Amino acid sequence: MPTNQKQNLDRTESILIRRAKEGDERAFAKLVKEYETLVYSFAYKVCREKEKADETWQDTFVNVYRKLDQFDGKSKFSTWLYSIVANNCLMKHRRRKLDQASVSIHAPEGFHDEPFSDDEGHVVQTIASWKETPIDSMMNKELKELLDTAIQKLPVDYRMVFILRDVEGQSAEETSKILKLSIPAVKSRLRRARVFLREELNGYMTT
Amino acid sequence: MKLKKINCTNVAEHICGELDEDINSAACRAIKKHLKSCPNCTAYLDSLKKTVLVFKHTPNLRFPAKARKKLFATLKIKA
Repeated sequence: MPTNQKQNLDRTESILIRRAKEGDERAFAKLVKEYETLVYSFAYKVCREKEKADETWQDTFVNVYRKLDQFDGKSKFSTWLYSIVANNCLMKHRRRKLDQASVSIHAPEGFHDEPFSDDEGHVVQTIASWKETPIDSMMNKELKELLDTAIQKLPVDYRMVFILRDVEGQSAEETSKILKLSIPAVKSRLRRARVFLREELNGYMTT
Repeated sequence: MKLKKINCTNVAEHICGELDEDINSAACRAIKKHLKSCPNCTAYLDSLKKTVLVFKHTPNLRFPAKARKKLFATLKIKA
């Protein structure tokens, strides 16, 4: 997006936020319409269930309405929204034992400290390559269910890092602000989440 | 990470950096060099990249417009 266009959008958003803070209901409604899809999409990606996503969406905007005064404009409005969704999701998952677990990483099957070589000194591939099929054409019901199951096995705090960084495309810095984590913690959780999810998909993707 | 000679385990631990940013450090250069001659690490990196891609391409649920009406009713907002 050209810089001028972005500046205009930022200015329009700042005006909407200021008006909404002053009690202008139409301005608040416009903010909701602007961000409703982003919030719903993130909530669904984290919760993986329609009912929970609906509830999280509603709770998020009720919080936004009540706490808009607390938004100081130092971060992006979307960062602030993401952090409210993340808090709502964390509160809903806090009681689950699974979510207090950490993710352990095991060496993948076929992995050795040093690669094996054949008699002629060529490295032997012991890790199975994944299918070359384009992602869009392999996205069927079976794979979708596998993805749902895999991501639900991942503790929610790791899941949120993975979704924010790899799915939503937020930077490590934005993710650290949203989740109130250090950048090294974001990187460590992301690495563990990716490796965990890769292991969950490995059987399906190699056969 | 200080590495003079790296093996597959080192690569497995640090390979994710490849997906984050192209760090031009000595460690990353060593990893890239290793990748050129190791089909296992290449297959592993490829599978990590595909893991990310497949989640990125998961179809999303459409936002239900009635949720907005419900929210405005809860907050008693006329929009």
